[in-house]
Amino acid sequence: MARIGVFICHCGTNIAGTVDIGRVVEAAGQMPMVVHAADNKYNCSEPGQALIRDAIAEHRLSRVVIAACSPRMHENTFRKTVAAAGLNPYLLEMANLREHCSWVHSDGKEAATTKAIELIRMAVSKVARHEKLFPKQVSLTKRALVIGGGISGIQAALDIANSGYKVVLVEREPTIGGRMAQLDKTFPTLDCSSCILTPKMVDVAQHANITLLTSAEVKEVKGFVGNFEVSIVQKARKVDHAKCTGCGICWQKCPEKAPSEFDMGLGKRSAIYIPFPQAVPPKPVIDTANCRYHKHLRFVEEKREGKPPPQCRVCEKLCPVGAIDWEQKDEVLTEKFGAIIVATGYKAFEPAVYAELGYGKHPDVITGLEMERMMSASGPAGGDVTRPSNGEHPRDVVFLTCIGSRDEQRGRTYCSKVCCMYIAKHAIILKEHYPDVQCYVFYMDVRAVSKDYEEFYKRAQESGAIYIRGKVSGIRQEDGRLVVRGEDTLLGEMVEIPADMVVLAVGMEHSPGSAELAQALKVSYDINELFIEAHPKLRPVETMSDGVFVAGACVGPRDIPESVASGSAAAAKVAALFSQEFLTTDPMVASVDQMKCGGCLLCTKVCPFKAIDTQVLRDGRTVAVVNESLCKGCGLCVATCRFGAANLRGFTQQQLLAEVTSLWQ
Amino acid sequence: MSQTAQIRQAARELLQGKAVECVIGYERGTDGVNARPFFAYEAAEADRLIFDQTCTHDLAKYLLNRKGKSTAIVVKPCDSRAINLLLNESQIQRDKLHIIGVVCPGVVERRWGTPGAKQLNACQVCQQHTPVVYDTLVGQPVSEPAVADPYPDVAGMEAKPADERRTFWEEQFSRCLRCYACRQACPGCYCPECFAERLDPLWVGIRIAPGENEVWNTMRAFHLAGRCIGCYQCEQVCPVNIRLSLLNRKLEKDVLGMFHFQAGMDAESPPPFSTYQKDEKLGIGE
Repeated sequence: MARIGVFICHCGTNIAGTVDIGRVVEAAGQMPMVVHAADNKYNCSEPGQALIRDAIAEHRLSRVVIAACSPRMHENTFRKTVAAAGLNPYLLEMANLREHCSWVHSDGKEAATTKAIELIRMAVSKVARHEKLFPKQVSLTKRALVIGGGISGIQAALDIANSGYKVVLVEREPTIGGRMAQLDKTFPTLDCSSCILTPKMVDVAQHANITLLTSAEVKEVKGFVGNFEVSIVQKARKVDHAKCTGCGICWQKCPEKAPSEFDMGLGKRSAIYIPFPQAVPPKPVIDTANCRYHKHLRFVEEKREGKPPPQCRVCEKLCPVGAIDWEQKDEVLTEKFGAIIVATGYKAFEPAVYAELGYGKHPDVITGLEMERMMSASGPAGGDVTRPSNGEHPRDVVFLTCIGSRDEQRGRTYCSKVCCMYIAKHAIILKEHYPDVQCYVFYMDVRAVSKDYEEFYKRAQESGAIYIRGKVSGIRQEDGRLVVRGEDTLLGEMVEIPADMVVLAVGMEHSPGSAELAQALKVSYDINELFIEAHPKLRPVETMSDGVFVAGACVGPRDIPESVASGSAAAAKVAALFSQEFLTTDPMVASVDQMKCGGCLLCTKVCPFKAIDTQVLRDGRTVAVVNESLCKGCGLCVATCRFGAANLRGFTQQQLLAEVTSLWQ
Repeated sequence: MSQTAQIRQAARELLQGKAVECVIGYERGTDGVNARPFFAYEAAEADRLIFDQTCTHDLAKYLLNRKGKSTAIVVKPCDSRAINLLLNESQIQRDKLHIIGVVCPGVVERRWGTPGAKQLNACQVCQQHTPVVYDTLVGQPVSEPAVADPYPDVAGMEAKPADERRTFWEEQFSRCLRCYACRQACPGCYCPECFAERLDPLWVGIRIAPGENEVWNTMRAFHLAGRCIGCYQCEQVCPVNIRLSLLNRKLEKDVLGMFHFQAGMDAESPPPFSTYQKDEKLGIGE
């Protein structure tokens, strides 16, 4: 017969303020199999835990009920407590008297007390049927995969590599560096973005522990923490990087030009190209959509009418090492990893939905990222900011904030966090470069919340930028200039500002393909296709999928310091994971009773973790078998199983039925 | 050539050529009027096979006893859906199976010693007179006229007030003898251990009492939600004439409305409770 101890927590006044603890203790003491019931100001405090440990010894308790907060909060705490007293940690059940009772029934002490007693009665009935559970150990591959080669992924890869573990860094673009490489200067210190970034990019390329895969994408992820098996597509570059020395003749001589993605279309690049001079690896790829030889090949292949365009192949003729490989195909690499860090970053919001702002119609309306490329000394204009319409220096520049941010109708609901600061940066730099420039900023609120940000915003105002609180209703062209019409809500009147240039402070959006990647990784994502952390405060770089971590702006708008910090934080989590010789798996997983399994195998189809295999028994029956390393204990198979053969340890049908029936017994 | 002659010929050829070990079909019963299941193992036995409106059994159930063994089976359209159900649920293998599908105008209720006159409830509302899957087809396929309400019986029940429905089912279930004939006859009931006989956890008590009877009958119906293929075997074998088909058809109607799914129409479609489509109408928050 079980000897059950019930420990009721006051949680300060969180529970005791609403629930009559005295009555609850008395009622719990009279429940079947309960040999000890006690209350405590804080069960989770060290003295509280000591009382529980002592009571287990003194009353020879075989099972424990903790009536306190949510198991999500403290179940692990109390598992350790009972384990320290010599009990199997799974002979514990929590009754949630706080979230499920006192917090939601603060208006009725009597009813809350009755409910508290019932919750404890259910927990007592359940724990009586608990079984000892034992974790298993599995080996792990001490090699990490970092997806995304922006600043966050770079930082994560470097930190893991410096901890002594192997890392594979996968980047979709031909170079690492990400968005930060496109930026001119960084707020609030105004240090040059590429000057602080490129040394890190070089470190990545040179680190013995880092394997860099550019022009590559993750296709499929199988397995589980410690033992992922990932298929990575290495896209055909048409250049053999093993031979290429990066001498540059090819991209200098290539006759075909295309808009440069890196320069936001403001400049041109050749069809065989490196995105920017400091690219890592400093070796080119051929953009087959624009390459003349590929145009020729497509013409012939599609049997089009007329004379095919000439074959160019200049790069091939000039390459001193014969690195051009027209036959190169996409390749799929399958590699094993123990942990995965997702750092896929963001893309800038597309402002075309705001038709009244005329982006795409008025050439002098540009986005913040385009302004970065204009301002950059290594940009297409060498840092000279001119009006796209006529090439003259602008005199009046108007900035519009919250483009695509804080807008439930046409944009995203969230604040993109960095826009206020990069606008301030643009205003300061413009004034420095061109003292006669007048900057205006239409803003909703200025959000300057990190270290030195408020001061930076002040500096922008002191530099002469005029901040106008309000939204812009439209931009029209007049006499070769733009007129920005908006409301000044502080004055309560409409204002019209003539401008030479308008900069849209576009916000951050998920990077394309985020949802597909999240699905492959079995990580949750929100309505904005941003990755969801395991806990927004306490587990900010972990996900609900063990062994998969998140860093940088793929979780939500983040500036560079935060992206770097989260990259390092994720790396620290990976290093901690890899410091173990074995991984212990949660024993609260599903199991299938083979005697009861009818072999319909529906469980194998509904299992989101592909954790159920089939097995043919000696009597010829085919039955389901749970792979305990893969199972996350979600219980879908249990709900699906008509035979009642699938069961979830720790939540068995017997335990749940006991819990429910206790309510009317 | 009559349907009986066609079935005999097909069975004879299959057994002679050793394409199958056994042909499951119907033969005349001892009362000289009704049909009963017949298992032909020799070509010479093929001439005992018959088919007429007394062939009420859903023979698909017998395939569960012949897993992995080559078998030919005579099926009516409703029974052919049972075969798809069992294929879908990995219970039988298609390559071990030869299906002799019979175009069926409907069968009649069994009466000992005298030919039945009344068509089964199932046949009165039947929408499928040609088998949905077969290797050999006996008879000419018929086209199905569109029907405004394929579930008139269910609509009648739905129209009644809740109290009246409650009274109706309480009376129906109060007659239940817990003989489990419905389960034994049902091609979809093949759990190695039925919940009705499980002691731990004890989902339903074994005593014949109103509450327990109700749990048994509704739980069995829910186990068949999205799975019942409408053969009415349960209702037909029930010794106390409980209108089990009404329960099953209500669920069939709901599943069709919510998930656009009918069990057993093919062997591949995933069961509705194992998938999620965005246009599913669950009647929640709508």
